Amino acid sequence: MTVQSESALPATLRAQWPYVPRYANVNGWRMHYIDEGEGDPVVLLHGNPTWGFLYRNMIGPLVNSGRRVIVPDMIGFGLSEKPTREAAHSLDGHTANLTALMRQLDLTRITLVCHDWGGPTGLSFAMSNPARVRALTIMSTWAWPLPPAEFHTRIFPWRMMHAPLVGPYLLGNHRALAGRGVYLSVVNREQFAHAAQGAYEAALPDPATRLLTWVWPRWIPLDENARAYERFRWLEQELSRSKFPTLIIWGREDEVFDATTFSNRFKQLLPHAEGPHLVTGRHFLQEDSGPEIAGLVRSFLKRLDGG
Amino acid sequence: MTEVAVIAKPDLQGKRLSFALAEDCVAHYPEFRDFFVRTFDLDRKGLAEPGFVRAPSGITYALVFIGRSGEPFPSGVEIHAIVDALEPLDGTILDRDLWLILRWMIGGVGAPWTVEDFDRTGRLYRVPTPPPA
Repeated sequence: MTVQSESALPATLRAQWPYVPRYANVNGWRMHYIDEGEGDPVVLLHGNPTWGFLYRNMIGPLVNSGRRVIVPDMIGFGLSEKPTREAAHSLDGHTANLTALMRQLDLTRITLVCHDWGGPTGLSFAMSNPARVRALTIMSTWAWPLPPAEFHTRIFPWRMMHAPLVGPYLLGNHRALAGRGVYLSVVNREQFAHAAQGAYEAALPDPATRLLTWVWPRWIPLDENARAYERFRWLEQELSRSKFPTLIIWGREDEVFDATTFSNRFKQLLPHAEGPHLVTGRHFLQEDSGPEIAGLVRSFLKRLDGG
Repeated sequence: MTEVAVIAKPDLQGKRLSFALAEDCVAHYPEFRDFFVRTFDLDRKGLAEPGFVRAPSGITYALVFIGRSGEPFPSGVEIHAIVDALEPLDGTILDRDLWLILRWMIGGVGAPWTVEDFDRTGRLYRVPTPPPA
């Protein structure tokens, strides 16, 4: 097992992440998170291959609007512990990791902000712990069994990228996802390369630390025999019955989870949801529109408060 | 020599196995596991010995297959370069060899997996070894 410390962050990027590092033991793993501000909690959940840094432009505005903002790094990413065996990772295990943190902090009235794998894990937490959750925000993710997008069925580049041995080589040795993969999935690539890419690469410095970047793609169900199929089927059913106030935000330029298909499917699942609000952004829309997304969440919560 | 070739067990006297790459889940797409079983006669040989290939660089590699209770064999595989015991391995040559071994694997797995898609994926992510388009 390896533990990545925050000191690995390049000095030029540390100013963008001035938060006190906190750690919790979840299911035997060391999870890094930040906990800023006071008020009803807003929990910001990232996915593959990012970490809390993805939300750096949203934390301040949310704290300043009177919210307690908690941003965990998924086990295997960011400043959290990074298991070196594939068997350490499962969809249910990651949901249980989040559940452990939420219970240790004894959070209630949570607003979950879910992106990428923060969707299946965060929404599974919400459906199994409804008494702790107040509202949901959903961005560039999915919550149903088959397949999330046509993109995920293609051999080039998706299935090839994480194929046996190819995944460890391309995504591990050559950090294809943590480096160029994120770069390709933002709109303003020049700004991203200058201001953010180093933070994602620094958090996954060596091939072994990048394990989850090729393991998560393998958890996307492509047929009914897939190991996560039943969990996603359950999640879709539970979500369709849920009445949580929900905000849907999507990137106009999202090519992985295209806005027309995916935001509309969430809207069908959750007809009471607000949105979809479209912002500038590909899959990692927080990189291009963080302050705007924070504004949408702030307004959404203010309306919930009756303001 | 331009191709990866399956070879018989080499003389390991004075050599070491230099770990290069590991895969915990070789059957994630079952046709990859089938390729290794077919190529190295694993249904018969089991854990008796690694598979051996020679890369175009001339370096020999051992493919060490891993078993896991409750799963078809092999569940995983490690690739080790066989090098002189006390000598370091050139990382650039290793990277090139790994690329060519994986390319050989993709070709052996067969349709719908193609070396063209493998090369395109490498170029998309700017891996230095794939041939230009």
